[in-house]
Amino acid sequence: MKFSKVRFVGLTLLIGLLSLSCQNTQPSGPLPGLGGAAINTYMAVGNSLTAGYQSGALFASAQIYSYPNLIAQQIAIAGGATGSFQQPLYSDPGTPDPATGKAARLELLTWHDPRTGQPLIGPRGLAPGNPTNLALKTPYNNLGIPGAVLFDFLDTTNFGLKALPPRSNPLFLLILRDPKLGNSMFQQTANMKPDLVTFWLGNNDVLGFATSGGTSGTVSPPAPTPAPAFAQLYGLSIGALRAALPKAKIVVGTIPDVDGIPFFTTIGPKIALSLIAAGGYPLVYQSHSAPGVATIAASHLTEAHPPLITLTGSAAAAYIGHPTGFLYAGGPLPPGIDTTRPFGLDPANPWPDAFVLDSVEQAEVSQAVIAYNGTIRAVAAADNAVVVDFNAFFHSVKASGYRVSGQTFSADYISGPNGETSLFSFDGVHPNSQGQAVMANQFIGAMNSAYGMSIPLVDVARVPSLPVPLNKGGRVYPVIPPGAFDDLPMLWGAR
Amino acid sequence: MTRVRLLGGALFLMLTMASLALSGGFQLNEHGAHAMSLGGAFAAQASDASAIYFNPAGLGFQTNGSVYLGATGIVPKNAFFGPIEDNTNAESDMRTQLFTPINAYVTVPLMERWHVGVGVYNPFGLGTEWPGNWVGNNLSTKVDLRTFFYTPTVAYRLTDELALAVGISYVTGSVFLKKAAEFDTQVSLNMTATSWGYDGGLIYRPSAAPGLSVGLSYRSKVKLNSTGTATFAPDISVLPQGNVSASITLPATGYAAVAYKFSDAFTGELDYQYVGWSSYQQLAFTFSANGATVITPKNYKDTYLIRAGGEYALGGLKLRAGAYYDHTPVDDAYVDPLLPDANRVGFSAGFGINLTKNLSLDAGYLFIKFFDRTVTNTIPQTSFDGTYKSYANLFSLDAGFTF
Repeated sequence: MKFSKVRFVGLTLLIGLLSLSCQNTQPSGPLPGLGGAAINTYMAVGNSLTAGYQSGALFASAQIYSYPNLIAQQIAIAGGATGSFQQPLYSDPGTPDPATGKAARLELLTWHDPRTGQPLIGPRGLAPGNPTNLALKTPYNNLGIPGAVLFDFLDTTNFGLKALPPRSNPLFLLILRDPKLGNSMFQQTANMKPDLVTFWLGNNDVLGFATSGGTSGTVSPPAPTPAPAFAQLYGLSIGALRAALPKAKIVVGTIPDVDGIPFFTTIGPKIALSLIAAGGYPLVYQSHSAPGVATIAASHLTEAHPPLITLTGSAAAAYIGHPTGFLYAGGPLPPGIDTTRPFGLDPANPWPDAFVLDSVEQAEVSQAVIAYNGTIRAVAAADNAVVVDFNAFFHSVKASGYRVSGQTFSADYISGPNGETSLFSFDGVHPNSQGQAVMANQFIGAMNSAYGMSIPLVDVARVPSLPVPLNKGGRVYPVIPPGAFDDLPMLWGAR
Repeated sequence: MTRVRLLGGALFLMLTMASLALSGGFQLNEHGAHAMSLGGAFAAQASDASAIYFNPAGLGFQTNGSVYLGATGIVPKNAFFGPIEDNTNAESDMRTQLFTPINAYVTVPLMERWHVGVGVYNPFGLGTEWPGNWVGNNLSTKVDLRTFFYTPTVAYRLTDELALAVGISYVTGSVFLKKAAEFDTQVSLNMTATSWGYDGGLIYRPSAAPGLSVGLSYRSKVKLNSTGTATFAPDISVLPQGNVSASITLPATGYAAVAYKFSDAFTGELDYQYVGWSSYQQLAFTFSANGATVITPKNYKDTYLIRAGGEYALGGLKLRAGAYYDHTPVDDAYVDPLLPDANRVGFSAGFGINLTKNLSLDAGYLFIKFFDRTVTNTIPQTSFDGTYKSYANLFSLDAGFTF
């Protein structure tokens, strides 16, 4: 044999060495960095959206995914000193429902409730959690207070008074705690001398009116905060921040339109389907603005600008067509109501005002939002603040979803018809943890662009999805028992 | 080693085959160490039983029957930098895997002018596995596509100068895909298909130009209608657990080749290979549980490869080398981590040796370098921009026995 074993082995070794010598090297591209700036302290000001409130409660396992906490982590990766971002963590299962004393957090309890054949969403009846770090010696970095309206930012009223009616909101006391830390949201922010402030207030000035179907608001008679008052307060608020923190980076958010959230877009189409299947009956509802009742054809409920049926009406929807007084149980019947008539189909037993936002109410809401956003942009320009346009962002989510890395997110309730992942939690108003991550990325993108920074965005896929049970059931038609939304009036600062 | 034991061993190895995409798209062109050493430029020479794949007309010029079988070991390295959407170029590395496609051919001359044979090989394969929790796991965590072609072939020596051949393939395929899905679940799709295809070839060796060989061969496209199951873990109520189906058309491929024996010692060949990838326009999965069809557009384009190879005989040892360029069928917008494709170049080297009068050994090495590929406009369903960098090392060994 002329074949040489030695030469064969040598050849093999050579080939092996050749293959090891090849490496895949990092391509040039953005390295994390803050563009030469220093961010040692970051303060977040806002309401429930900023607090990481979701599914009707404040609880720690959601708060860690609040957009301010996520932004702080990403800034730390880019070289900032925001790694120890402090929040008012409330241990799981979270804050209580004052009416029951039990944890208020909404969960998808079962995909198949034997009584209705539908999925059931509601609180589980657990004992509530507790605040975990009340003794922190400085203000929390996250001053997102569920229920805060714009007025609250500069307001120096005793925090404990806001826990009493008409606000009935204990969270001011819980989060601001001691006037020695600062006697207002503004003062506690300024006392921390932050390098970066995100400021997102104004949503509740319109949301209380909207989610109550126009039956309550920040003023009396019920309406969103009047535009001139909003403009004055907003100018004073950002002006105060800028005067106290001349060198800080200030980032503000515009107010999204309310008609894009699943709280308003989920029940109407379901009712329409039932009515069409039953023979095409129109829905008869109380019209707040034109006293009396109005009718809407079932098919119109799915069109472009229908009256919006609130998520709070989900339990009532099951009673449409039945003679029922379940809405009026435990109290006197309002005049003109006859509970022997079919509910929702007869002017004497109409779908109630509180569960519908009719076209006049919607116009009030959208005019308020337009005015508020005009103010926000003007004040930001005057005081050198960066604007994150959440109004435009949520419009595009509603129109065509939000896509990143193979995932499609939408503004549907729980999940979309084509497998889209919802950005919203079980209360239909507040984003879930992945929604918070998406909002954090909007802030980060705006900061990178405005300040020449290179902060890496959050990997949304790593943030947990809505927790759901493992039993079998049907498609999602949510039935939420009355009482699950008891917290709402407190939440929106409504009176 | 007796013939029976050789064949029995081959059969066993066939059943444990794995496969990998090594040519444009998920086509695999490494079906014999001899051809691989020549940069795959073999359709004009087709001088051993692996002609069943490269150009079956080559059997018409072979006077002996033979058994030719072996394996290729493939170690790819793939890295992704990004995604740009998250303003990062962090590196994600595909899991290093060893793939071992195997080829097995048996041919028997019949009467004077006929030569029949059967071959087993896998011309399409894809295997990519990324770390479980990586940033792209909603697009893909693991893909495994395997195809087996069982090809009886018949060649006829028409004249001294011309041979023709045809083959029919019985095709089996399997697809496995795993990725993250809604509600933090993982979905696994497990599907199989059977189909058929055909191939043919022609080799012309004009007596007026001794040493010249012209080869043409063609392999038809194959439509795989696969069915199987979609399993979600955990199984969430609203997700379409149950039967799933998909249809994938494997492209046709054709070779136009010319080889020339420059001297007793040296032969060179140049091949142009066409691949009809426009047959793969979209990937669509239909779920029986809810009737939904999830479509991902792919819009592959017809493409080509250029191959060149040479063999130098040094006594009983044949030294081989070759190279090729492989043009990607995938446009930038459609690149995704299921199959990070790019233009490629390959450099090969190897040798063949006669151990005895009847027994020979071919060994080959191929290094494939993918051009670095940065994509910044991926389609909305993907939304995953970044840079892909890949290369692969292949080692191939085949044993031939003539009788």
